[in-house]
Amino acid sequence: MTKYSDLEYLKLSKGEKLLYKITQFFCAIPRKILGLFVALWNLIKKTGSAIGREAKDIIFTFIHGDWKTKISFFVMGFGNLARGQILRGLLFLFFQIIFIGYMILAGGYWLSMLPSLGKVGPVEEYDYIFDAYVTTYNDNSFKILLYGVLTIFFVIAFIYTWRVNVRQNKLAEQILKSGKKLKSGKDDLRSMVDDHFHTTLLALPMTGILIFTVLPIVFMILVAFTNYDGAHDGYYSNLFTWVGLDNFNTMLNWSVSTSGGSQSYAATFGEILSWTLMWAFFATFTNYFLGMFVAMAINKKGIRLKKLWRTVLVMTIAIPQFISLLYVSKMFAKNGIINGFLMNMGWITEALPFWEDPTWARITVILTNVWIGIPYLMLITTGILMNIPADLYESARIDGANPWQQYTKITLPYMLFVTGPYLLTSFTGNMNNFNVIYLLTGGAPTNSAASSAAGSVGYTDLLITWLFKITQGAESQYYLASVVGILVFVVVALISLVVYNVLPSIKNEEDFQ
Amino acid sequence: MASVKLTDVKKIYDNNVTAVHDFNLEIADKEFVVFVGPSGCGKSTTLRMIAGLEDISAGTVEIDGVVVNDLQPKDRDIAMVFQNYALYPHMTVYDNIAFSLRLKKMPEDQVYEKVTSAAEILGITEYLTRKPRALSGGQRQRVAIGRAMVRDSKVFLMDEPLSNLDAKLRNQMRAEIILLRQKLDTTFVYVTHDQTEAMTLGDRIVIMRDGIIEQVGTPTEVFEKPRNLFVAEFIGAPKMNLISTRLEKGADGSFHVTPFGAHIKVDGEKGQELKHAGAKPQEIVLGVRPEHIVLSNANNAAAIPCTLEVNEMMGSELHLHVYTEDGTRLIVRVPTINLTLQERSELVYGKKLYITFEGKVMHFFDKESGVNLIYN
Amino acid sequence: MSEKILLEQNASPIQKRHMGLKATRALSNTAIYALLIAISIIWLVPFVCILLQSFRVESTWQVGYVIPQKWGFDNYVNLFQTDFPRWYTNTFIAALVTAVLQTVIVLCMSYTLSRFRFKMRKPLMQFMLILGMFPGMLTMIILYRVLKDLGMTQANAVPGLILVYIASSGMGYYVSKGFFDTIPKSLDEAARVDGATRFQVLKKIILPLSKPIVIYTILTAFMGPWGDYVFAQYISFGTSSGMNVAVGLYRWLNKDQIANCYTMFCAGGVLVAIPVTVLFMCLQKYYVEGVTGGAVKG
Repeated sequence: MTKYSDLEYLKLSKGEKLLYKITQFFCAIPRKILGLFVALWNLIKKTGSAIGREAKDIIFTFIHGDWKTKISFFVMGFGNLARGQILRGLLFLFFQIIFIGYMILAGGYWLSMLPSLGKVGPVEEYDYIFDAYVTTYNDNSFKILLYGVLTIFFVIAFIYTWRVNVRQNKLAEQILKSGKKLKSGKDDLRSMVDDHFHTTLLALPMTGILIFTVLPIVFMILVAFTNYDGAHDGYYSNLFTWVGLDNFNTMLNWSVSTSGGSQSYAATFGEILSWTLMWAFFATFTNYFLGMFVAMAINKKGIRLKKLWRTVLVMTIAIPQFISLLYVSKMFAKNGIINGFLMNMGWITEALPFWEDPTWARITVILTNVWIGIPYLMLITTGILMNIPADLYESARIDGANPWQQYTKITLPYMLFVTGPYLLTSFTGNMNNFNVIYLLTGGAPTNSAASSAAGSVGYTDLLITWLFKITQGAESQYYLASVVGILVFVVVALISLVVYNVLPSIKNEEDFQ
Repeated sequence: MASVKLTDVKKIYDNNVTAVHDFNLEIADKEFVVFVGPSGCGKSTTLRMIAGLEDISAGTVEIDGVVVNDLQPKDRDIAMVFQNYALYPHMTVYDNIAFSLRLKKMPEDQVYEKVTSAAEILGITEYLTRKPRALSGGQRQRVAIGRAMVRDSKVFLMDEPLSNLDAKLRNQMRAEIILLRQKLDTTFVYVTHDQTEAMTLGDRIVIMRDGIIEQVGTPTEVFEKPRNLFVAEFIGAPKMNLISTRLEKGADGSFHVTPFGAHIKVDGEKGQELKHAGAKPQEIVLGVRPEHIVLSNANNAAAIPCTLEVNEMMGSELHLHVYTEDGTRLIVRVPTINLTLQERSELVYGKKLYITFEGKVMHFFDKESGVNLIYN
Repeated sequence: MSEKILLEQNASPIQKRHMGLKATRALSNTAIYALLIAISIIWLVPFVCILLQSFRVESTWQVGYVIPQKWGFDNYVNLFQTDFPRWYTNTFIAALVTAVLQTVIVLCMSYTLSRFRFKMRKPLMQFMLILGMFPGMLTMIILYRVLKDLGMTQANAVPGLILVYIASSGMGYYVSKGFFDTIPKSLDEAARVDGATRFQVLKKIILPLSKPIVIYTILTAFMGPWGDYVFAQYISFGTSSGMNVAVGLYRWLNKDQIANCYTMFCAGGVLVAIPVTVLFMCLQKYYVEGVTGGAVKG
């Protein structure tokens, strides 16, 4: 592959330029993948050396520290208390007491049960007094997994706090040695609204994210390696336990399962994934271009009542989607108002299969999504269109460009450049667009070939609605749902990674500014 | 009113770029010091470290003998004027100026007193009830200065305060800052990239490049005895002419140079200084300011023949861009009054000229290091 | 004489062309007006239909015409004999509390990420970007069970619902961070030099300048729970008294209920839509500002 200099490149014809760019892109892929691994390796190396450095520093602090520091290694906060930083000392000490108490009372148990996820399941025994079978419930796999993970979080937090404690001792010694004064509790409190204000501000949101997002995600990733489902709910029915990669094997296996149906899980997954991608593509770009078109139509010079047109569209954003989607879904139903109207007018004799035929259903879903999405896109694009410098168009017109050329050479490149990141998030957002699909069709029409798969799979089901369906009902194969969830993550991450690498707005941020 | 002392101050950013290298400077009480240099030289970073807006990576900053490294900006007792004024857009001019006083919980009648008297000095009394967006650039600048003035702080910091103004307004505000300085009588640290501002305002000038101090001195010192080529080129407009040549020592111990074949003796103070510094014959870069070059004629042994390329008429003077026989480009600054109308009309593209300069106006820089020979 | 003819000859093509331009512009404008009218009709028709059908009393199921034959408030009256008022209150409380708390959290987060440069800032943002790639529904499986253990599901769904809505709202900081980024940093610096603490900077300088984005955040934070289906469905878990409007009304469209409840659904839909629409129209300016800014910032 020859690399052209800039001047050589400019001499190429249009086709050659395109070819050159494409080959350049593909030639760069191995290098990029390699770069990823190198970055990963560097990260590991950096972490390793950082841990080494920390360990060295800890040992060094212990050897060279005074007795206050040394005791602090075992009684957290001692050094602070001894040096007069009462508030900090008490906080450290308090945290250590809580931690030790928790580990003795509960944490130890959860950690020890984590490898087995529970030993004794619910037992049914005959009770002579009541003359009935009574079930006694024992271990709770769900809690073991949840609190096990939580305990691990807690241990990590403790180690970090302990490290901070050691470092503070070292710093305090240094400060005292240089003859300066330590910060008092009052100073600490004051710094919470000043130089450490960001910690104060972040504390609440980050706790929420940690407990309600990070913890559940870690938990659900782990569930993918268990057999947690309706029949093994971990407490009432049966314990669940680790099963290794079995669930991934099931999901990605091409052989047809025994229980009816004619499709393997892998085939079903592949079908849903391809429709999901197709949907995301159409949903994103139909909205994008039609929205831009409407925005340009309203913005055109000489069009009156601009505000009215905009308001009509914007108003539809306010109405909750579940109302409009459910209503539209019924409008297109077999006995819905549209079919009724068409039949009353005598234009058709038989109801049109809007939701019954797979192809009809998919097209109707995409069209309805256009109806839902255009107002947003109109708003977004209007703002950006108005930001395009007018002199670009003036200069283009003087250079002799017609309206279509102005659109393709100025408007479109500018829009794509500015909205590149938005398009990406919109694409991945559409992949996970639960509302539109679920409220419109609920996944229908049903795909009978895929009946062996968990949940009832339909032709308009996205991965996300499938995931939802899997978790519903008595079977509730949570382990499969989390496998699907993980795969969705992998797909989204891959797409984002690739797009981020080619997006011009990220590569050369200054081009249009 | 206080002294400021910077000792080995260093700024290293997270990406390991060093913006300021070991910066050492003592600013005396009531002194007006100007940091000047091209963009990216670390002058603003240094000022912001004094203000407490940037962390200090190493070294200490002292204000009035107290190390302020770990103090928040609000605890350093400084006032600052920003390049883009940084007026609070949602407050009136009065509230803008009063903001710091109210934070100090000063009684409202005193606030009124101080704000109105500052507005009086700056001539913005009639705008006190307006919002900043209703003001012109120059007025906003005054408000920004007013906001800093009312604080009666120890040190007055100014970060390129005039660079957003147009040329005419800038000259006017420059004069006003000189007046203001006399009224306030406090310590000033002023950052600019404009050497004219630096020369006219500063008691002392700190010339910086790539995070390093190139020279510290009074305007006269840096102009007449630039430490190196960078300072020589940076101070003075148009730029100093630089000529590669050789420094020769005559039999009598006096020095002479031979630029473009001309023979020019180094005499007067320059000769003494060179002797003092123990200069030896060597390859040098010869520096001559445009205003020190004069038009001459072919009969002079020290005359250099050259060709006129561009003639810029500046009003009181002409800037003649010429090139010598070997292609070196030089600028000559000729007072208009020294030439007759006839002579001026002949100064057109392609005109052959002879120029020369005296020994006492020359600067000699080491070819390798660029350091002025008199500092060797 | 000849000069004059020449002039006229020269002028006429230009004039012709000018008239041509005018004509094309008029033509294209007419086409655009037609298009805009068509769009307006398409976009408004479903809502007009809902409104009309909510007043229809001759049949409770779908019919093939739009204008009711008999008008009346029966559907609205009937609504109050069902659990609808309960759903409505549930939704309203959840949305109101969420709007307040979520706004506080989002503003804390975005202000911090926009204004402070601390060591963990970049890793934190990357971490949240990666977190956001997991389908949020996945977390519901476990949250549902935890909330059930805490007694915050089914009949007591509202507190549980609020918790779920606000818990991860810190991750939706992008739009407001984009806004904060546009406020010059030198304002913060000037205020800090003037003697303000970081907290005072936020209170006295940034918040007064951020009215549009605060309103935008409140508005979107309110509209989310107001129309949420999926989380509410999980947490109410079939118990009518714990449902919100979306879950409740959705049930009326089930096969076994739709024949009796269709027009009631329309009436309910109208009642749900009116307050948000009014609110939205009043604050439209801020919403538009937020959406436009957000998309450009990415």
